[in-house]
Amino acid sequence: MARMKELRRDPERGVLAGVAAGLAGRAGIDPLIVRVGFIAASFAGGFGFALYLLGWALMPGGDGGRAPVERIAGKRETWLVVAGMMLLALAALLLLREWGIWFSDAIVWPVILAAAGGALIWRQSTASDEPAADRPASTRATPRTAAVSLPRDVMGRAFVGAALVVGGALVFLWLNDALRPARDVLLAVVVVVVALTLILAPWWLRLVRGLTAERTERIRSQERAEVAAHLHDSVLQTLALMQKRVDDPREVAALARRQERELRAWLNGRRAVAGDETVALALEAAAAEVEEAHGVPVEVVAVGDAPLDERALALVAAAREALVNAAKFAPESPVALYAEVDPERIEVFVRDRGPGFDPAAVPDDRRGVRESIVGRMERHGGRAVVHTAPGAGTEVELVMKR
Amino acid sequence: MRRADRTSLVAGVVITFAGLVFLLDRLEAIDVRFGYGLPLLIATVGAILLVAGLDGPRDHD
Repeated sequence: MARMKELRRDPERGVLAGVAAGLAGRAGIDPLIVRVGFIAASFAGGFGFALYLLGWALMPGGDGGRAPVERIAGKRETWLVVAGMMLLALAALLLLREWGIWFSDAIVWPVILAAAGGALIWRQSTASDEPAADRPASTRATPRTAAVSLPRDVMGRAFVGAALVVGGALVFLWLNDALRPARDVLLAVVVVVVALTLILAPWWLRLVRGLTAERTERIRSQERAEVAAHLHDSVLQTLALMQKRVDDPREVAALARRQERELRAWLNGRRAVAGDETVALALEAAAAEVEEAHGVPVEVVAVGDAPLDERALALVAAAREALVNAAKFAPESPVALYAEVDPERIEVFVRDRGPGFDPAAVPDDRRGVRESIVGRMERHGGRAVVHTAPGAGTEVELVMKR
Repeated sequence: MRRADRTSLVAGVVITFAGLVFLLDRLEAIDVRFGYGLPLLIATVGAILLVAGLDGPRDHD
């Protein structure tokens, strides 16, 4: 007998939290029927709404996660303290109200709402100044957006705070009858908004899902390209070197050991070479590595320096690939690397006086220039230009904004 | 010896206290009006949440 499907929410097929979709999936019926049931029951004294909330609280998520109630019960978090203190304060306020030590409902409740919202916003505005390293990686802003954007959880709490302040103001106006003149207009606006939401929601949902899927695919494709570029620069290059040095077993073994160390470090998310914490040092280390592996002298001139961040690391990796290409295809010619770092950008030029080549004649399956240099620089917001022609040497120009 | 779970202990005490108050109300020994009953319930939940938040992490977390 087929095992009955476990009762879980289905956010992917759901409109709100996937409660109706989960129930429909379990019962084997169209989710629309359950949704209509919930909406109809919501008009019966809000019963459907309460039932939906209960379902959301008790049903585990579709991705194997625990139910919200289960998650809350299993955690000891700051919010528990905050919620506990808020409830105790509320109980004390209700008692004061009962004893008559009270200004007026029209003043105290709006003030409390606005004060809670204001406190939340102020707390978030100071929290956003905390060092990014203290926050989880997923909530950190990229360097480009750090100045103008806040992490999603901070934004969410600030939004709740703003909603509380606005809610407090509206409650104050309502309790003092200041909203009466605008009541008819507000009602019309609310009805139109609800009607438009009902009409446009399916298209909006489809658009959001499409954008999310497209973004996920783009990220996946960039990650694939990064992995391919790294494997090309490391493993494939080392295998090519090993084939060239096949008559020297000790050197082949040394190459294999070095590649193994590098690959293990990369898989573990560590950097293979320690100590190259600036752009100039990292470029010099890359040049020394290429010099040692290929036996070609590389002259390095670096003007200025900068810390080695993710974008600078991509630039160094692209420069290293350009050096390897120069050493491989122009072994008789000296290779020169010139780097200039200023507050605006980092420029690197790799030159050789070798035979040069016709970029249009490079086969499609060769990834060195296309992916490891040009593609890598573009993925990290920079640009790479290869100036070359048969018999005219090669210059690779790499530019990365800081 | 097994260490007592502070959250369970406090929850047990405050819920028992609230239950006693409502029992005395039913027995007409005291008169608990809505104005006092609601703050009592809210304070009970608040005390449990507060202690749960201040308590250390559970072993199985």
